[in-house]
Amino acid sequence: MTEAPASVTVTAAATPAALDLVQNQLADLWRSSPGVSARDRARFEMGLVEMVANVVEHAYRRDDSGAAGSGARELSVRITVTDDSLEAELGDNGMPVEIDLSDVTLPDPEAESGRGLALALASLDHLEHRRDGGRNVWVLRCVRGRDA
Amino acid sequence: MIEIEVTTDPRGIGVVVPRGRLNMVSAGRLREALGELATAGTHRIVVDLAETTFLDSSGLGALIAGLKSARQAGGDLRVARPTREVMTVFELTNLDKVLRPRADPETAFDD
Repeated sequence: MTEAPASVTVTAAATPAALDLVQNQLADLWRSSPGVSARDRARFEMGLVEMVANVVEHAYRRDDSGAAGSGARELSVRITVTDDSLEAELGDNGMPVEIDLSDVTLPDPEAESGRGLALALASLDHLEHRRDGGRNVWVLRCVRGRDA
Repeated sequence: MIEIEVTTDPRGIGVVVPRGRLNMVSAGRLREALGELATAGTHRIVVDLAETTFLDSSGLGALIAGLKSARQAGGDLRVARPTREVMTVFELTNLDKVLRPRADPETAFDD
């Protein structure tokens, strides 16, 4: 089934509430793109939520005492659905992140945190990070399955 | 975006039903609900996930915290009826062994 590319952009203060905003927008996007399979929807949402949560949790931690007020810390997500893929570009104006994606492993079963990046990597087909003019930019992609 | 119903059945087993998304926003509410059961002396707990539409690493963290505190007190925390999407999260994180999903909340403590 061929659909026109659909996309949505969310810009919000980098707080946990941004997560519900992104998930609400995603639910709307799925309604307007009914051809996306349940499996692709689920893994893309998982990868995106973990990366947004990571930005909210980590990208701003080290500059908590900095001059920038909390109002200046924002993230933006652009989500695009095409015939072939689900893609998100996630940007934030937080401190530079230093994550070695080749070195992400699951923690001990009893650990109460530390699974986010592993889940994102397991869910997504492609994840990359770059520093672009004072912003962190993450590109997330799921190649759509043919079982829609 | 979550509603958490907590009841205690006649056997003294706490039944927790999160309705909606368990993400970074709502995982704290689950932690509180599980903590209140522990404080009240309820250490056998079933989390019925039938109406949990989404689970992320924060939600997993809350379940693991509840599991550890229940076991330390001589009880257990079990999960029941996860949707296929939520089951995938347990499998991807290898937690399906630690939190082996049960078919329904009523029989979750039968073995």
